[in-house]
Amino acid sequence: MLTVHGIRKTFFAGTPNEVRALQGVDLRIEPGSFVVVIGTNGSGKSTLLNAVAGTFAVDAGTIRIGEHDVTGWPEHRRARLIGRVFQNPFSGTAPDMTIAENLALAARRGQRRGLGWAVRGSAADAMRDRVRPLGLGLEDRLDNPIGTLSGGQRQALTLLMATWLEPALLLLDEHTAALDPKSADQVIRLTDEVVVRDRLTTLMVTHSMAQAANLGDRLIMMYGGRIIHDFSGAEKRRLRVDDLLARFEEVRRSEQLDESAAELLRRVYV
Amino acid sequence: MTLLIGAFTIGLILSLLALGVFVSFRIFNFADITTDGSITLGASIAAVLLVQGVSPLVATLAGGCGGVAAGAATGILHTRFRINGLLAGILVMTALYSINLHVMGKSNVPLMAATTVASQAEATATRALGGAAVLPVFGWEVGARDAGVLVLAFVVTAAVGVLLYLFFRTNLGTAMRATGNNAQMIRALGVNVGNMIVLGLALANGLIALAGALLAQYQGFADVQMGIGMVVWGLASVIIGEALVGTTQFGLVITGAIMGSVLFRLLVAIALRAGLNPNDLKLITAAFVFVALVLPDMLARLRRRPAADRGA
Repeated sequence: MLTVHGIRKTFFAGTPNEVRALQGVDLRIEPGSFVVVIGTNGSGKSTLLNAVAGTFAVDAGTIRIGEHDVTGWPEHRRARLIGRVFQNPFSGTAPDMTIAENLALAARRGQRRGLGWAVRGSAADAMRDRVRPLGLGLEDRLDNPIGTLSGGQRQALTLLMATWLEPALLLLDEHTAALDPKSADQVIRLTDEVVVRDRLTTLMVTHSMAQAANLGDRLIMMYGGRIIHDFSGAEKRRLRVDDLLARFEEVRRSEQLDESAAELLRRVYV
Repeated sequence: MTLLIGAFTIGLILSLLALGVFVSFRIFNFADITTDGSITLGASIAAVLLVQGVSPLVATLAGGCGGVAAGAATGILHTRFRINGLLAGILVMTALYSINLHVMGKSNVPLMAATTVASQAEATATRALGGAAVLPVFGWEVGARDAGVLVLAFVVTAAVGVLLYLFFRTNLGTAMRATGNNAQMIRALGVNVGNMIVLGLALANGLIALAGALLAQYQGFADVQMGIGMVVWGLASVIIGEALVGTTQFGLVITGAIMGSVLFRLLVAIALRAGLNPNDLKLITAAFVFVALVLPDMLARLRRRPAADRGA
């Protein structure tokens, strides 16, 4: 469903702040697959997600979603195929607009927006039916501005909005990192429910080892702008939090080795 | 009484300006100085067409269309060429000064002899009064022209306000509001944010130019200087309106902007009557907007500080 081939991205190229965020990433995701991406800070996991979403243009490589080559598509055009939930729970909803208006905006993701009424009275029942399973009691507050809700509630609604029209690809960018533990659990439960129910092709970045171990059918570990591990099938199912921590420890040690080796060389040659 | 009615009428006409500023400043959070040029553009186009004997309705709408083009120009400078929003407005406003002179061919076009919406309103009012030139209201005598134009201004403003309210409840209108409220979100939902800004500024300046076209016909002339400081005038109206309705719910804010414009014009009329030097008007308006912009924050800080002291 998603095919990423040889993508590269360097930020601030040619300046002292140059960051080689993606250094040739290849990834192929089958339809209906739920892929979890982990990695240390600066490993390029969020950059990978943003490259797929079209937040910036990649320097090299191609991105295909289904039969579309979206490499040259601007972000808003890719939105026809992609549902997104951001790390910041305030990023995914318009605070001064009502819950119903936000849902109505999501119900036309990627479609023409003309002069028809955005919120029809007749659609209210359908909205309530889809909001009720969130279990937040928001179905009776559709006319309240979203800005009055908590971060967890807003993130649950953003997830609902991203999947209101079934997306070809669902992108979740550490979407529980900014929530309190209880809200995070709730949003993760909702995520698992909707992804499994609709068999959504999903790419989820997370910091949480527990989420990485328990969710999804494939796990990718990134480091230094590359994919360094790729577990799927039975191997993914066997993975436990301790195994993941051990892999991170390995990465950390090799990083230290690199540094001490560099230091050694410096002492010898400089 | 004539003074009061005049203030009411100008307040209603300029509430279209306030609505335009509401769209650009409040919905898109875009301080759009194109306003100063586009209100004059609306007046110039309408005046020139009226002098040539074009029907007042067509001339007024043509003036509004001029504003649409001016707003779109600012929007395109800002979104396609990535020029800072304030600067994009300044560039278009400056260019419009020359354009307005070209449209009018001189710096001032009088409309005393032309058939305008104002003279049509006067004729209609006279006919409605059975030929009388004055209408007694609570013991005052009101001229047919004043009464006619006031009713016309009220009808136009109410119609535009209702249309604007309805528009912002359509799919396109909600997408526009969302663009100003959370651009990242609406982009992720497939909306081209640049196009929305261009469209929004076109709409805003269209309303503003419409105000200019009507104002020229009411006061009987178009002048190349008439737009100076109008954006601040619009801001003042919007801010007063928000204070009057005390909410951010946009249906009420639209009503508030209209009421704010009328109230502001009344305050100005009273101040001038009481002996305020007209030269100080823009200074005082600017100072008023400054205070209105910083006051809410300052009050909130003052209210927070005692609480923080208690905590410490």
